[in-house]
Amino acid sequence: MRIALLLRNLKRHVNGWTVTSMTGAAVILLPILYLLLSLFLPPNDNWSTVKQFLLTDYVLGSARLVVMTTFFAVCIGVAFAWLVVGYTFPLRNVFKWALALPLAMPPYIAAYTYSMMTGYTGIIQATLRNRFGIVLPPGIIEVMSERGAVFVLTLFLFPYVFMITRAFLERQSASYIENARLLGHRPLSVFIRVVLPLARPAIMAGGMLVVFEVLSDYGVANYFGVQTISTAIFQTWFGMYDMASAMRLAAWLMIGVISLFILEHWLRRNRRYSDTTSQTHPLKPKALKGAAAWVACMSCGLLLLLAFLAPFIQLIAWSVQYGAKIWRSDFAELALNTLQGAGIATALILLVALLSSRAVRMIDSPFMQALARLISAGYSVPGAIIAIGVLAVFTVLDGWLSPLYGSLGLGEGSLVLSLSLAMLLTGYVIRYMATGYSALESGYEKIPRAYSEASRTLGRSSLVTFIRVELPLLKGSLLSGFVLTFVEIIKELPLTLLLRPFNYDTLSTRAYQYATDERVFEAALPSLLLVLIGLVTVLFILNPERRSI
Amino acid sequence: MSYINIDHVTFRFAPKEPAVIDELSLQMEQGDIMGILGASGSGKSTLLRLIAGLEMPESGSISIDECLMVDERVFMEPERRGVGMVFQDYALFPNMTVAANIAFGLHKLKKHLRLERLEQMLELVQMEAYERRYPHELSGGQQQRVALARALAPQPSVLLMDEPFSNLDADLKADIRTDLKQILAKAGMTCLLVSHDEADIDTVCSRILRLPKDSRKEVLTEDT
Repeated sequence: MRIALLLRNLKRHVNGWTVTSMTGAAVILLPILYLLLSLFLPPNDNWSTVKQFLLTDYVLGSARLVVMTTFFAVCIGVAFAWLVVGYTFPLRNVFKWALALPLAMPPYIAAYTYSMMTGYTGIIQATLRNRFGIVLPPGIIEVMSERGAVFVLTLFLFPYVFMITRAFLERQSASYIENARLLGHRPLSVFIRVVLPLARPAIMAGGMLVVFEVLSDYGVANYFGVQTISTAIFQTWFGMYDMASAMRLAAWLMIGVISLFILEHWLRRNRRYSDTTSQTHPLKPKALKGAAAWVACMSCGLLLLLAFLAPFIQLIAWSVQYGAKIWRSDFAELALNTLQGAGIATALILLVALLSSRAVRMIDSPFMQALARLISAGYSVPGAIIAIGVLAVFTVLDGWLSPLYGSLGLGEGSLVLSLSLAMLLTGYVIRYMATGYSALESGYEKIPRAYSEASRTLGRSSLVTFIRVELPLLKGSLLSGFVLTFVEIIKELPLTLLLRPFNYDTLSTRAYQYATDERVFEAALPSLLLVLIGLVTVLFILNPERRSI
Repeated sequence: MSYINIDHVTFRFAPKEPAVIDELSLQMEQGDIMGILGASGSGKSTLLRLIAGLEMPESGSISIDECLMVDERVFMEPERRGVGMVFQDYALFPNMTVAANIAFGLHKLKKHLRLERLEQMLELVQMEAYERRYPHELSGGQQQRVALARALAPQPSVLLMDEPFSNLDADLKADIRTDLKQILAKAGMTCLLVSHDEADIDTVCSRILRLPKDSRKEVLTEDT
């Protein structure tokens, strides 16, 4: 009888929706699992050299960059979040959303813009020298170092901490902070004894995003010559042509990422992160007056200037000044490549995300919930790891398909899949599935289940219910999922550099190529375009918030 | 044989949790209007969802008009059961007008028959003047009428109503209860109505089933 029951339940749950979700999860997990398996294979000769002479430097380089950037990003993010939530001062409402703008600028663009701006011929030193006769000692403000990498990554990643902490403090903290003030605590004491402990979960969530972004970074570290595991993966692959060692490095980095995940969950164990009451009200900020108000305003202004306005205006200036010279005949092709690749990948992501989020909705079981988490896991995996995993799997697939290639006249042993755009698109799908999936998952959460159930009891099949009832109600989520995913893919660098077919360039790879060839002026126009596209995402995320301010 | 036959049905939400419905058996004849009373968590709504095919029982069987809906081997999907349901929050599709909502279940009819049936339903619930309105433009009572018309339109063999009066204020509730009784009698419908308010059941139903809070300890009772 039990077997009959099992078969009945299985028959009901195994359908196109679940099969697609499981296929999606398999496609996403396969490259990562394949990488981890490489740890069990015997290492080659190169690996012992890498291990003996380079690995310690790579690991220490990554660790230093992660620790310093996260520390400074958390300090700046939390301090400014508290400033705009807890106090009123001139332009506070503008800074509340404007301090999120640095997210629109990919850190690798900021890296070469800043390196040029702070160099001997850059605008800062040249102005000081020509206008004021001040000659700075060499190297004092130049950013081409580990210190510079930390500076750039901090300035352009702190908004993760700022936004999450600000939202948390605005929503959840009012009664506790007001009580502390009534009990006679001074502002600094309120901040240290109430705000910081209260906001710990939000700070940790923002901090973890910074950690994952720094681990994923290739552009900034490579441009500033900082040795990290991500740059090492590139060097082993492109410099030594040693795929096996690159895979091994990526696998170790993956283990680091998994350990961080476990550490984060362990730190959050048995902790209450929600309010003890559902009756929350927004915090009433305290008015800053006189000098204090202007200091607060100037600090926010300076941060915005450094983290967005200065490099943004510099890019505009270069684009205007050198626009005619740097406009190239292949620029249209570049833009088309970028839009086409991102468009196809986004469409694939939304298709799989749509089918999977529906499957999870239909079968609300722990298994399907786990599947949903696995599908979204790619976002926290550095692009270089995904790239190596995808390349490895595609190379194996090419091996398997070799006889077929032979029979089609392509030549046995030829690389078809692993030299095609399909490989890059697969990488994008794995890396950015989470963006599309979370948009649709939250869209589904807003649709009461009773709508679908009503449709079924009115004689409409599951498919018709999906098309006629759910899909029209998901339009908004599909649009936001599309915009967010599309823009993220357009800005992506390491994955595109590693997986693109020969002679295939996008705006981001071309901009980066120009910058690393010391042709920063030529990088300005594609970079500016990328920042403007990035602004779309940030404004899209901020739009409901700005309306409520 | 009875029109609706529920035989030793057991249901639980998760394998290790206690049964919400434990070995429940129930028979109804065609045209019966049965009210189901019980405290929160007694499984009133779950019983309706099991009949509609929105949940799967762990054991037992349900048949309607001698046709097996579910047992340990068979599960008939909700759209094939011919069961209409009025949901607690009405679940009117927000992107469709009143007319489109009511016509949603009439897809098997030809266009002229569909329009004819739509008119009949609008007339039955006295909503002719509102056919082009969207659900958010209607009052709670009007939404309830549209939900009833939508459920009745495909002429289901059984109508299930889950707390249909819970969102209405007291005055409106009294009017709607009387209207509903007349509409159901006119349609000759076999109906199960869940409510936590005894007055709802007394006004509309001919039989009452009381579900115990803990189905393992108490025995369900039935009044006529």
